[in-house]
Amino acid sequence: MRVAIAEDSVLLREGLARLLGEAGFEVVAQCDNADDLLLKVRSYHPDVAIVDIRLPPTHNDEGLQAALDIRSQHPSVSVLVLSQYVELGLALKLLADSAEGVGYLLKDRIGDVEEFVAAVRRVAAGGSVLDPMIVQTLVSRQRPDDPLARLTPREREVLELMAAGSSNQGIASSLVITVRAVEKYVSSIFGKLGLPSSGSESRRVLAVLTFLRS
Amino acid sequence: MLGTLAILACAVPLRSIFVATSGDDVDLVAVGLLDWITVPYILAGAVAWLRRPASRLGPLMLAGGFASGLSALQLTHVDGLYTVGGAFDVLPAALFLHVCLAFPDGMLRSRFEKVLVGTAYGAALGLQLLKMSFGALGPHSLIELSAQPDVVRVVQHVQLLSLSAICLIGVGLLVSRRRQAGRPRRRSLALLIDFFALGLVMIAVLFIAGTFAMPGFLAIQRATLAVIGIAPVVFLLGLLDARLARSAVGDLMLELRADPDPADLREALADALRDPSLTLAYWLPDFEAYVDLDGREVELPAGNGRTATLIERNDGHVAALIHDGALDDEPQLLDAVGAAAGISLENGRLHAELRARLEELKGSRARLLEAGHKERQSLERNLHDGAQQRLIALSLELGMLEQKLGDRPDLQSRLDGARQEIAHTLEELRDVARGIHPAVLSGHGLAVALESIAARAPLPVRLTVDLDTRLPDRVEVAAFYVVSESVANIAKHAEASVASVLVSRMRDGVVVEIVDNGVGGADTEKGSGLRGLADRVEALGGRLRVWTPLGGGTRVQAEIPCA
Repeated sequence: MRVAIAEDSVLLREGLARLLGEAGFEVVAQCDNADDLLLKVRSYHPDVAIVDIRLPPTHNDEGLQAALDIRSQHPSVSVLVLSQYVELGLALKLLADSAEGVGYLLKDRIGDVEEFVAAVRRVAAGGSVLDPMIVQTLVSRQRPDDPLARLTPREREVLELMAAGSSNQGIASSLVITVRAVEKYVSSIFGKLGLPSSGSESRRVLAVLTFLRS
Repeated sequence: MLGTLAILACAVPLRSIFVATSGDDVDLVAVGLLDWITVPYILAGAVAWLRRPASRLGPLMLAGGFASGLSALQLTHVDGLYTVGGAFDVLPAALFLHVCLAFPDGMLRSRFEKVLVGTAYGAALGLQLLKMSFGALGPHSLIELSAQPDVVRVVQHVQLLSLSAICLIGVGLLVSRRRQAGRPRRRSLALLIDFFALGLVMIAVLFIAGTFAMPGFLAIQRATLAVIGIAPVVFLLGLLDARLARSAVGDLMLELRADPDPADLREALADALRDPSLTLAYWLPDFEAYVDLDGREVELPAGNGRTATLIERNDGHVAALIHDGALDDEPQLLDAVGAAAGISLENGRLHAELRARLEELKGSRARLLEAGHKERQSLERNLHDGAQQRLIALSLELGMLEQKLGDRPDLQSRLDGARQEIAHTLEELRDVARGIHPAVLSGHGLAVALESIAARAPLPVRLTVDLDTRLPDRVEVAAFYVVSESVANIAKHAEASVASVLVSRMRDGVVVEIVDNGVGGADTEKGSGLRGLADRVEALGGRLRVWTPLGGGTRVQAEIPCA
């Protein structure tokens, strides 16, 4: 799998490149700013671009803007946004239209090499990844007459994993249950929350997010 | 001297009576009209000369009066007087032009005007004499050399047409002068200048009509003489106006005794001075500057038709009256008004000083806040680019190391422990950084930053952010803290079951409103942090209001201007 990296800290950029290289990725581009990233994405068409949300020159929203640009101009290129703060508002912006091939993770997560590499793979393959912290915020959000109260603890766990972008297979192995059991939980959750059951897993992410946000 | 002139003026009607009785076919209307010009010009000229000896306008008007008086002599049947009257026949027109252009100080302003007036005199007197020498006035003229009607006609045409052209140029000069003055000058003055212009136009029309022997010449002539005669009347009215103004000082003193608001003082002074364009500037010694009532610095005018009259009291400058330059002609009036308004101006000065200091304080408060904000922003940046990045890189390094140690579970778990430790540190650092400055706010704006506050609140918060553009940094920061602080307050004290946050644009800023359905009765002074929020909002020129009836929930509303 081919990957482009945009990160202005040299230390981290090279660390990431080494990590992904050792994990079997082909790092086709390393950039320290958004313009360079867009240029290289256009020329190399990587499977996934990993983007620091804070890029020069102003370190404001250049990274996010680059991620949104790649999503609109190169739909075949997945985007994984890394940030030192995870904000619900940014996740909602990033996933505004679709959750396909999008990820948003706290930068801290790259220390957990195995999980991080799995997340990059998932996003590169067109899946979605949402930082657990955001999922937590969403799930624990206070609602008047909370519909989540109707879920069993197990169903809540499944809901959280779904929201984070896990596939049924992934949920099954996380919770050490069968895929069939996961499917049962999922349809029960959708029934209780009154959501229309949707086909693909990334569309499922969006449906759950929209529900949790409101 | 005035006595002499008055006698001379009174002599004019006597002369007219003499003229009228000296023959039986004298045009009495013409005599009357000529007196209508002569008397006011002589009187107005005398008064002007007396009141402003330095100005040449008085003598000029006197000369105009006498010239028109002399021109009436052509109505007599005494050959000598008839000749003199004939020679002065057209001269009053040139003199009138001279008066118009030389008003108000009696001086012509440019070389062009001098040439113009000189040409007018040449045409009015020189050509007149030339005309007469060729027999223009018939056999009774003493200076007729030979009678040549053709030459007379040509000279007459040249004379009248050139004079009417000159008069029209004079009108142009007056109009452009009035345009340059820009703002409305004092009313009596404007009226006078309008009369001058009208008079010049009528002279031009009269001469053109005379040249081409148009019908109704007599009517035009009478109307022209009537208008020209009014100009000195208006001039005298203007002088009288000044006298009335001086009596207005009495009214002013009465008004000031009621101790008017400093804002009304200007009106009162403008009324007393009859100058609606009057403005006041107060002297602030500590700032070494003149300021208006709101404490904003003003420059005293230099030229341009505006003048500043400085008002002094016991120990120095108090204020300056900035008024139309025409008022300079009435120094006593200005002095009287200045003296009458002394104490009120002193009050106004104190008021202005207070405002100036308040503005200064506001400015420094806003600057302090801004400086603090900048400092926090750069601290957060340093933390982000420095410690946080290094720790993440370190964690990454440990993670990769852990991977390499395939079969050493003891070391692996120690490395894992170290990574966890780094993760905790990063979390703490993140909280610290967020406390210093919410980076997401400057990066992505209010809507994004408030989303997390609403989502993390321990009660349901409905968030509506109705903004289409980013706001200035300091406004976003203030609005952010108003929301985060208010939501924290609600969580701590309000016992509310639901809250809503509304952010919307107002004309030149933003309105932030946080409403809950809790117990109300919030402490707005201490402990609740509301005071601190109010400080923050007020430093930006905004205002924070809190409605918190017992048992009726709490509504916090902040209006923050963007300017």
